[in-house]
This record gives sequence, C-alpha cells and structure tokens, in this order.
Amino acid sequence: MKGEVSYALYVLQEPVQYVCLGFMALMYAMKIRQLLKKPAPPEKAELKGDRFAGAVHSLANVLRPWGMESTRNHGYFYAEFVLFHIAVVLTIGSTFFIPLMPWVMTPFVSKVIMAFMGIAFLIGLRRIYRRFTTPEIRVISSPDDYFAVILMTVFFAVGFVTLGLWIEGRAETGWMWLFFLMTTFFLLYVPFSKISHYVLYPFGRVMFGQIFGGRGVLNRHQKA
Amino acid sequence: MAEVAEEKGQAAPEKVAAAKKKEAEKLGTQAGRKWPLKDEFTPEMLQRMEEILPAKLSRVVAASLAGCIHCGMCSDACHYSVSIPEDKTLLPAYKADRFRKWYKGRFDWMGKVFPWFVGARKLDKDLADEMYDKLWGGCTMCRRCTFNCPMGVDYGMLTRAARAIMCEVGRVPKHLQDTVDTHYNHGNNMAVPRQEFIETIEWVEEELQSEEGCENFKIPLDKKGARYMLTLNPREPKYYPLTIQATAKVLNAAGIDFTISSRYWDLTNYAMFNGIDSDAKLFASWLFDEMKRLEVEYLLSGECGHGYRGLRWEMANWLGGVPYKVTSVMELFAEVIGQGRIRLDKSVWKDDVFTYHDSCNIARSGGITEEPRTIILAAVDNFREMEHNREHSFCCGGGGGALAMPEFAGRRIKAGKVKADEIRATGATVVLQSCHNCTDQLKEICEHFKIHAKVMNLAELLSEALVLG
Repeated sequence: MKGEVSYALYVLQEPVQYVCLGFMALMYAMKIRQLLKKPAPPEKAELKGDRFAGAVHSLANVLRPWGMESTRNHGYFYAEFVLFHIAVVLTIGSTFFIPLMPWVMTPFVSKVIMAFMGIAFLIGLRRIYRRFTTPEIRVISSPDDYFAVILMTVFFAVGFVTLGLWIEGRAETGWMWLFFLMTTFFLLYVPFSKISHYVLYPFGRVMFGQIFGGRGVLNRHQKA
Repeated sequence: MAEVAEEKGQAAPEKVAAAKKKEAEKLGTQAGRKWPLKDEFTPEMLQRMEEILPAKLSRVVAASLAGCIHCGMCSDACHYSVSIPEDKTLLPAYKADRFRKWYKGRFDWMGKVFPWFVGARKLDKDLADEMYDKLWGGCTMCRRCTFNCPMGVDYGMLTRAARAIMCEVGRVPKHLQDTVDTHYNHGNNMAVPRQEFIETIEWVEEELQSEEGCENFKIPLDKKGARYMLTLNPREPKYYPLTIQATAKVLNAAGIDFTISSRYWDLTNYAMFNGIDSDAKLFASWLFDEMKRLEVEYLLSGECGHGYRGLRWEMANWLGGVPYKVTSVMELFAEVIGQGRIRLDKSVWKDDVFTYHDSCNIARSGGITEEPRTIILAAVDNFREMEHNREHSFCCGGGGGALAMPEFAGRRIKAGKVKADEIRATGATVVLQSCHNCTDQLKEICEHFKIHAKVMNLAELLSEALVLG
C-alpha cells in the first residue's frame, strides 16, 4: 500500500493505528485488571445446575433472541442490533484490510460491507431519533450516549462513501483520510466511552450465567 | 405434648429446671442493639459513604455499575415501570443510575475528568436522597430486569450494595431495620420467646392431633438425629399457626422424620434486604449451630421466598460452606408426591380455579420452578398459569423487604398492578404461592384491584386434599 498512497496516509493507516491500537489494548488491560482485582461472587452452596454450561449459555444469549423477553418482544430492535454490530465488525475490519490486505477488499466484498454500512447508518439515524424522542430513553441518556450513537452513525456514512470511492480505484481521497482519522479517534476515545461495553459484556454475561446456571435456573433441560 | 427428645428420661425436678433454663435463656445476641437511624443524609454520612463504597464493589457489582449501555431494554421488565408507566424514573436503568452516577464520579476515567459527559455526579444530599427513594422504595431486587438485560447487569446485587452503604450510615427504612434488630436481639424477627414458641408448637400439635386421622401425628421439638430440621417464618407461630399445622400434617402423612429447633427456627434473614452481611451471617450461623446440635441431615426451609434463597444459596457463602444439605418443603412435597408417599383427593378443590405465583427468590433466584407445579397438579384439576411464570414471573411487589417499608406502601401497591392483571386474566379463585411476603402483598393487591381470589400456600393446598388412613 505504501506505494499506492502518500507516505502521510501510510503513516496514518499503519504506524499511527498501531500506536493507537496499543493504547486501546493497554487501557482495556487496565480496565480488565481493575475488574479482576475485585472479589468474584462466591458460590459454596451445593449446585443444582452447571455453572460452566450456564456461562456458555449466557454468553450465547446474544444469538438467541427468543431467550429473553426483552428481545423476544422487540424482534425489530434485535434485528437492528444484529445488523448494526455486524456493520461495526465489518467497518473495523475494513480499516485493517484496506492498508494490510487490500486484495481482500474486492469490489464485491467492498459492496457487501457498504451494504451493511448503509443499513447501519439508517439504523443509527433511527437510534438517534429514538434516544432524543422516547421518554424512557431520554431519561436515562447522558451526552456520552448521544455522542456514541451519533459518532457511529457518522462513521458508517464516512465508511460508506470511502468504500464507494475505493471501488472506483481511488485509494487516497479526502474521505479515506477522514475515515482513518475517525478510526484513530475511535481507538483513543472508545476505552473511555460506553462503546467499550463489549469488553464488559463477557464479564456480565459469564457471571450471570455462572450464578443462575449453578442454581439450575438457566438451561434447565441440561441440569443434572 | 410435643416431644422434647433432649429431655427424655429426665427426672421431674430436672425437667422443671430445664424448662426454667429454657425460659431464662436469652436468645439472639447477648448485647442488645438498636441501629442508629438517621432521618436525612448529613455531610458526615456522605463522607462515610464515600469511605465505604470501595469495599462494596464486588466484581458483580462493579461490572453491573460499569456495564449498563442505557439501551432501555429493561423498561418493560420491571413491575414498577410496567405498572406505573407514567413515572419514567422507575425504569431499572434510571434507578440504578442513582448509584451509577456516584460510582462513575469516583471510578470511571471519563467520569472523573468530564463528569457531565457520562452523567457522573458527586455524592451529595440530593443524589443520596434519590438513591434512598429509588433503591429502597422502588426496587424489590427481584432481578427480572437482570434476566432481560443484554449485558447481564445484576440489578439485585447492585441495589443490595447501595442499600448496605446507606444502611451502614443509618439511612434505612425504620421498620425494615427494626425487623433486623429484633432478629439480632431475640433470635427471631418477631421476638417470639422460646417458651412461647414451644407452647405454640404444642398447641398446634394438639390441634393437628384433633383432626381426623391425625391422632398420632407429632411436631417434634429438638429431636436429635432427625433427618430434617424444619425452619419457619416467624409470622407462622405468631399469626398463621395453621400453616405450621398444614405443613406438619403433610410431613407426618408422608412419614418424614423431622424436627423443629425450639431455639433458632427463624428462616427469614432481612439482612438480605438491608445488605449488612455480618448480620446475615450471624442469623445463618444460629441455624448452622442448631443443625450441629441436633445432628440433622437436612436443613428444611418452610414456605418463604427470601428465606429459602438465604438458606439454600446464600448461607453457604456467608458461612464459607455448610456440612449439611439444604432443601425446601416445596422440593420435599414434590418428592413425596413423586414417590407416592401421600395420597391426594382432587375433588376437595373441584370448585376452585387455581393459579400459582412464582416468588422471585424461589424461582428466579432460587431455581425452584417445577416442584410447585408437581404439587399443584397432584392436588387440583383446575390450574391455569399466569402469562409470565417460572423465572419470567413478575414480582408481586412485596419482595426486597418492601412490606417492611410503610413509607413506600402506596408505590408498592400500585406496582402490583401487572401481577393483579395477570391473576385476573387467569380467572383464578385461589392464588397459590410459597412466600409470606408474597402472601401479604397478593392479599393487598387482590383487595386493592378488586380481585376475588383467596391467597393460599402449598402446604394448605395439600393438607386439605390429603387422604389419610
């Protein structure tokens, strides 16, 4: 890639990203360490179920929309959630593929990612509207909540345009610069924002699964 | 007369001396206690709360405080927010945020630098007052929202931690703390003296023996080496002795070898509600000591929601493990029905329609979901499930010590609307349950929402249907 883009963009796409990625990893490591230093919930009672199976069941909760009433009754919301997060993964993935494995980003692959980005952008708009207008959501929202969803929505829009230009063979554009500047910002900002919830997700779900799996409440058909 | 096995073979003067000793024995702690209650938060109390906070942050609590993404999915999981939709401050996430804001101000990196950005706040009197209102009077720690939270936020543990902090500085609902203090000072939460308890059990035994076919039934007190030690909710000897009679009748009919300690028999543990672990541990240790003294194999929980959870799941954690098994009458009844050890006549209930309310601490936090249904289906033909049942059941509104907080009674009753609606929809004439707090709340909401249904526990259901002889 170095030969196809300016040295400045190369620096932004690679060394700068690596440094920021390292910073993000360090912040996450510190967060996780802080959490692990706290005492885990004990369970010394005779178990009725399987704590490990409970934890796995709970972690896989995200794949079972029928598993929780909140997702069962709000299928549309769940579908949005799935598409939005697939788009997040693909968008972040493209920030690696573009500089490191550009051959992966064929027009077809790029168009698929663009499709998800476009859908996620529309979902983002709806989520912004929801956060501003739904009384239940407004009352619990902080500026971080608004900023996070707006930022992601804009990121999807920028990514969409950037990939559109990439398909045309334009590896260095103002949009590409903006896309990677935003990526840089993300890497530095996310550890401090609610967007880092995915780091806490396994902890919350595993502890929930251990407690209620051990008590025989979760996956009852599997209990001893 | 109830059998007092310890005294078997004693000479009459020794029996008298033993009886006097029992009467004189001070149960509970030797040094009495009156928790210093405060009417409002002072700067000194807030400072003390700041000092206490780090010690209350277990991994579950910390992850629950940090993990909320404000998605709002909990909004229709909570009986408060569903029953009182006009009050948006009763959303689980909002209520928990009263604590979370403080936590973020102390421990969240962004919250320390830009508190306004993440909604962090310093703990001041206003925030503490909001915590008091929402986490004592607006949450029963039923964990229904936890089961519907994509992140697995444990609102029950989070609320308990916040309550513990407030309680330690004296901001705790008076009646709730009085209940804990009474337990602490007298060995049971209604200050039933040992001799009075013995006399009550003896009277219940006599009443039981006066029933046809029950002439030989016993309620053994302090019988060493029995298989089960039955524990009771103090409301039973105090106000609902017929519940003890019904339970004992079923146990006798099934040939269960059981006893009741005349010293420590209270299965409740209101320290689960005020969050003070040292008290919870102390109350549990009294039962532990009785189990050892009487050399019993099983600690048997009577029908009580938080009591069952406390004995079955929390006691071992408080005490670092227990060398005996813990079970409940719900499980035991289901077992003896499965083994054919009791016979039931369904026709006695043919004119009624039944539904069952799953206590949160028995089902969601306790893992007992099928046993009550085994019992009910063995005793009645007309059983209808509520829309939300088992671990998905809505809290009736009486959990978390709510019945011991009269200052929040109005909200508690209103919050029972969703449960009342579900009961009404079944057309039930009898609401079955296995918890005394649920009993009281269900009676109140049935009356308030004009539902003509009796509230009954499972022992009473079985007792009436038993075929003896």
